[in-house]
Amino acid sequence: MSDLVKFTLDGRELQAAPGTLVIDAAKKAGIEIPAFCYYEGLSLQAACRMCLVEVKGAPKLLAACTLPVAENMVIETESPTVVDARKFTLEFLLTNHPLDCPVCDKGGECELQDMVFRYGAGESRFTEIKHHVDEKQWSPVVFFDAPRCILCYRCVRICDEGMGVKALGVTNRGAYSEITPNMGSHLECDECGACIDICPVGALTSGIYRYQTRPWEMDHVGTICTHCGDGCKTTLGVRNNEIIRGNNRDRSGINGEFLCIKGRYAFDFINHPDRLQSPLMRVNGKLEEVSWSKALVAVAQKFSEIKAASGKIGIIGSNRTSNEENFYLRKFAQAIGTPHLDHRRTGDIATLLDALSGRADALATAEDLYTAQSVLVVGADLAQQHPFLAFQMRANWRHHQSRTFVVTQGPVREDAFATRNLRAEPGQEIDAVTTLADDLKSSGDLIVVFGDSIRGDSLRKLVSFIASLGVPAKYICLLDYSNSRGAFDMGLIPGDGGMSAPEMLAASDLDALWVVGANPLADAALASQNAFVVVQDLFLTETAQRADIVLPAASAYEKTGTVTNTCGQVQRLSKALNVMGAKPDLDIFHLIARGMRLDLGPAQPDKIFSEIRATVKGYDIPLPVIATGGAALTNPVNGNVPHAAASAALVRGSRDTLFTSGTLGRYSPILSKVMEAPGGLYRK
Amino acid sequence: MTLEELEPKAREMIGRYEQPRAAALPLLWLVQDNLGHISSEAEFWIGKQLAMSVAHVRELVSFYTMFRMKPAGRRELRVCTSLPCQLRGARDVLARIETHFKIRPGETTPDGELTLSEVECLCACELAPMAQLDEHFIGPLDGDTLGLLLRGSRIPDPQPFLSTGGPVISSRFRYPDGAWFETYLADGGYQSAGKALLHMTPDQIIEQVSAANLRGLGGAGFPAGRKWSFVPKSSPKPRYLVVNADEGEPGTFKDRYILERDPHALLEGMLIAARAIGSHKAYVYIRGEYIRPARRFARAVEEAYANGWLGKNIQGSSFDLDVVIHRGAGAYICGEETALLTSLEGGKGFPRLKPPFPAISGLFQSPTIVNNVETLACLPFILRHGPERFAALGTLRQGGTRLFSVGGHVSRPGLYEAPAGVSLRELIYNHAQGIRNGQRLKAVIPGGISAKVLTAEEIDVAMDFDSLTAAGTMAGSAGVIVMDESTCMLEALLAASRFFAHESCGQCSPCREGTGWIHRIVRRIWAGKGKPQDLDHLLAIAGDMEGKTICVFADAAAWPVQSYITKFRSEFEEHVHTGRCPASREAVACRP
Ligand SMILES: Cc1cc2nc3c(=O)[nH]c(=O)nc-3n(C[C@H](O)[C@H](O)[C@H](O)COP(=O)(O)O)c2cc1C
Ligand code: SF4
Ligand code: SF4
Ligand code: SF4
Ligand code: SF4
Ligand code: FES
Repeated sequence: MSDLVKFTLDGRELQAAPGTLVIDAAKKAGIEIPAFCYYEGLSLQAACRMCLVEVKGAPKLLAACTLPVAENMVIETESPTVVDARKFTLEFLLTNHPLDCPVCDKGGECELQDMVFRYGAGESRFTEIKHHVDEKQWSPVVFFDAPRCILCYRCVRICDEGMGVKALGVTNRGAYSEITPNMGSHLECDECGACIDICPVGALTSGIYRYQTRPWEMDHVGTICTHCGDGCKTTLGVRNNEIIRGNNRDRSGINGEFLCIKGRYAFDFINHPDRLQSPLMRVNGKLEEVSWSKALVAVAQKFSEIKAASGKIGIIGSNRTSNEENFYLRKFAQAIGTPHLDHRRTGDIATLLDALSGRADALATAEDLYTAQSVLVVGADLAQQHPFLAFQMRANWRHHQSRTFVVTQGPVREDAFATRNLRAEPGQEIDAVTTLADDLKSSGDLIVVFGDSIRGDSLRKLVSFIASLGVPAKYICLLDYSNSRGAFDMGLIPGDGGMSAPEMLAASDLDALWVVGANPLADAALASQNAFVVVQDLFLTETAQRADIVLPAASAYEKTGTVTNTCGQVQRLSKALNVMGAKPDLDIFHLIARGMRLDLGPAQPDKIFSEIRATVKGYDIPLPVIATGGAALTNPVNGNVPHAAASAALVRGSRDTLFTSGTLGRYSPILSKVMEAPGGLYRK
Repeated sequence: MTLEELEPKAREMIGRYEQPRAAALPLLWLVQDNLGHISSEAEFWIGKQLAMSVAHVRELVSFYTMFRMKPAGRRELRVCTSLPCQLRGARDVLARIETHFKIRPGETTPDGELTLSEVECLCACELAPMAQLDEHFIGPLDGDTLGLLLRGSRIPDPQPFLSTGGPVISSRFRYPDGAWFETYLADGGYQSAGKALLHMTPDQIIEQVSAANLRGLGGAGFPAGRKWSFVPKSSPKPRYLVVNADEGEPGTFKDRYILERDPHALLEGMLIAARAIGSHKAYVYIRGEYIRPARRFARAVEEAYANGWLGKNIQGSSFDLDVVIHRGAGAYICGEETALLTSLEGGKGFPRLKPPFPAISGLFQSPTIVNNVETLACLPFILRHGPERFAALGTLRQGGTRLFSVGGHVSRPGLYEAPAGVSLRELIYNHAQGIRNGQRLKAVIPGGISAKVLTAEEIDVAMDFDSLTAAGTMAGSAGVIVMDESTCMLEALLAASRFFAHESCGQCSPCREGTGWIHRIVRRIWAGKGKPQDLDHLLAIAGDMEGKTICVFADAAAWPVQSYITKFRSEFEEHVHTGRCPASREAVACRP
């Protein structure tokens, strides 16, 4: 390209596209210009004045974070004047800073501490008495220590721009400026913790991580959040076999730094006191703790008996177990000859794939949501149920002025920037959507995101309407949990003549019900009085309470495998810690199979994954991508599923909100605390 | 009154603006004027009206000092203790008021009658020591007037000195109640606007204004015609004219008189400027404390609409202009043009980075010209009498006259119209009749508190922009603060540094922390606890703030420190070393 701008940076001749900021151009050349307020992706503030550089011919130092490179510009980033200015700026920032690094959570990864180390400014001339203000708790998640704050406004901007919550402000002015929460003395917000993680110092800290440990004492394990279907990567800080914190500061994964409260903090269910540690078996009507071997023998025996007698065994799988587990469970069902296999379907992916009839490139990813020229949301409250997808849409609008169209039952956060927003009762959304035809035709490439009320015929109508517009369109079918998509892809659906989950529950002649990581009896009854019920779970759910045998299972953070997010991207789970008592579901399946003398092939996750790649349509994905922590898009095609088996009528979303997550949510102390905290922002 | 009852009015206010959020300050005023204060319920209500988060509404309430979150007394007394008032005894006045009513600033008398506060410059230094009682400016609060105030009696309107002889601006100041439409017309008013709208092209107007050497009189002195020429000729966006009537520079009180006594001159100037830049909407941002000036100006706007000088198809010229008056709410920094625009858009008064300059992207991201009241009020003269005549009044590079606000220790504080190049000595000794009580001159600040101080030996200097810059200070807003030999320069610096610490918007770290740090050191020295290294530290801090921030406020905060200490070093040293004040000769420090 000939229209690159040539400039000199610290004596090196460089080139960059016009408009590139000096700070970014320098970074690309490996020169780190110090910055507090500048933050990639957020609006420019230019307030901290750390990034000042010397530009030949300019009368003053200039802020690199707002200075675009210009032809023949000569820039010095470490000249004595610049270094002096930085030292002074640091000294200014330290005038009211308590310098309590030894007890600060940020100690060791504090940007202020790093800068002071780099530029000195140790011997402060500031000898006035510092304002002391006590630390405040703003919410179950967010704590604020005002004197440590250097007023870089990152927290305010991430909350305004990134989250769209706008819960933080800076009150007063001058030296009395202070970050203040929306309710004056407390905070009511998404509790996502983004402000905490983005804070360069230890001014904002989390109720979860505070005073727990020092950064260098932790191991960091990157894995996939087990809550909603968006599939965010979360990096768990682990010490002594305990998860201390979650974040994604290294911006790896599809979600960059984004995490909602669940991905960042709601790993705490794993340590809930009610977590099952030992198998339980019903003895004289009561569940009693028994050894693993006793429980497994009992299950294998009973299953074998029923199988021998050609009894009816129903299996309900999980939206959160891994692809490998789900694949293995389906093989198990086949091996024992039961067609009664299902899982709770939270979105009508089956109809979508069928309606798209063979179009291979019609499924969008979260990344596409950030780049598409327009997005249509139908029947979904994204900010509540798919926080990451909502974040991507907001970022797209903010950075690329994308056009957003919203058709929902009630008000949603996306209304704030939607080009048009319409209200429609569930089931009537498509009529409303068709009134948008002219807008949609003129808005460029489109992504359609839809929720559980769009299923069956209305989904087919939607797809044909969109096709009639003549614009390139892709779809995201919203599915609610971390591996809902995988459960469907791995075939946890009824075989020929098989019963669906509701049918199993309603069948009075069911002989056995095997429930893995699901809680169907939370809102339904089991008709068959005599059914032998086996439940694998982390907690004694309503379903587990009805079980004859309960087998404690490991969570996603305690095992390896892969999961597929709502957009159809496969990602790898890493094991962050070992569990006491519980076992991964795959091990449990394998042990039961062995007890029943079934040969289901190898039971190691990576071996099963090879089988999946070889046999599941669309899963022939490049291994290196996921091996290196990436997300590989599956490429499903029509005919994947016998459509009749995936009756649209069974589709029912989880109705989870930002602060709930099925069973796991109920056992997450932080989510419970948030739900009980004052205020009713999302809890009416 | 309830919030619901305010809703129709709120909707009407929102309708005046291009973006709902711009109605934030008007709505806050609406609530406070009708309900007495801004409750947290009202913050939510405003947030709802403007689709704004409550966190951001609260930011505004706390940023602008005139908004209150708690009810105040029936009457509100705001006593100015800024430097010009301090020089004329404001501290004693405040002390007497405190003793009499037995309350401290920030408090309300137990009977709920009076709320007292201490404020920075109200830009009425001709009345020093002065205060604002509800909407009235009262002063000088010496002997009699203070007695009336304490007794709760009616205080007569002050009669300070001001020029009425013109030639450019002040001639209609002779009408104490203001030159209203008929008077203005009879005086030859609106002829120039008529000419501009009907007979001149925008380029011709710009040429004439450039030829007149009209400089921006808000403080920066940028040539007005040149600034206008930066407005893109073809832009799909609307163009805005914004009038800076946020007069706030301590020592300055000129724009208030134009708003109150000659509002049509400003309106006529606005018409000319709007025509020159092709703007059809003008905003006039008036500082919040200027309640009566805003009301009087609003009356002139009504008259102009009624007489076909505003609105659609003005005088058959097919040129349209609408004017919206926007009230500030107590923040000096909003006088800085980009902060003014942010504030007008419904934000805290945070200055913005330049470039882009407002002429390219200003209000609502559209081309915008911000001009000072006085700058615009000069335009009718230029078009009527020709640029040559205007230019000839001034110096080679600055045409016309200026309204000089002269305050402090002069015999006759007041507002003087004089040629741009008048000498400082002449202003002090001829116009303002010399130093009061026959004292000797010690120091003068020639252009508002931000300007560097001049010593008594340095007053033979012309007051135009270029000459004062050459003299190492600046003409700024032409607010002349005169200090006699009894003045303690440390105390003067204390007032200046307190002003800057109070008014920094707080955005840039060097300014936010530096202004606070300087003020604390100066206060400590003043309390008799100076340390030997303090003066060098002050100079170093000031140096570190200079030229490193988003706007020049930080530089302005540094200049007094540098110039007072450098020029009066021995006096400062004596303070530090002895803990005593050499100027006031008091036992310990200037004040215990
Ligand atoms: C800290 C600061 C305060 C200012 N205050 C005022 C003010 O009160 N009134 C004003 O007209 N200009 C003020 N200015 C100057 C304005 O930024 C701007 O230059 C002016 O309004 C332009 O109008 P003019 O060209 O007609 O002077 C201030 C500038 C700064 C940096
Ligand atoms: S936790 Fe999230 S939503 Fe709450 S204030 Fe911080 S960034 Fe905003
Ligand atoms: S709390 Fe942290 S992120 Fe927010 S302004 Fe202060 S230092 Fe910056
Ligand atoms: S958006 Fe979903 S996947 Fe991402 S952190 Fe939140 S719950 Fe986890
Ligand atoms: S220099 Fe001071 S007043 Fe100006 S923007 Fe920065 S902090 Fe605000
Ligand atoms: S990083 Fe440039 S001013 Fe803060």
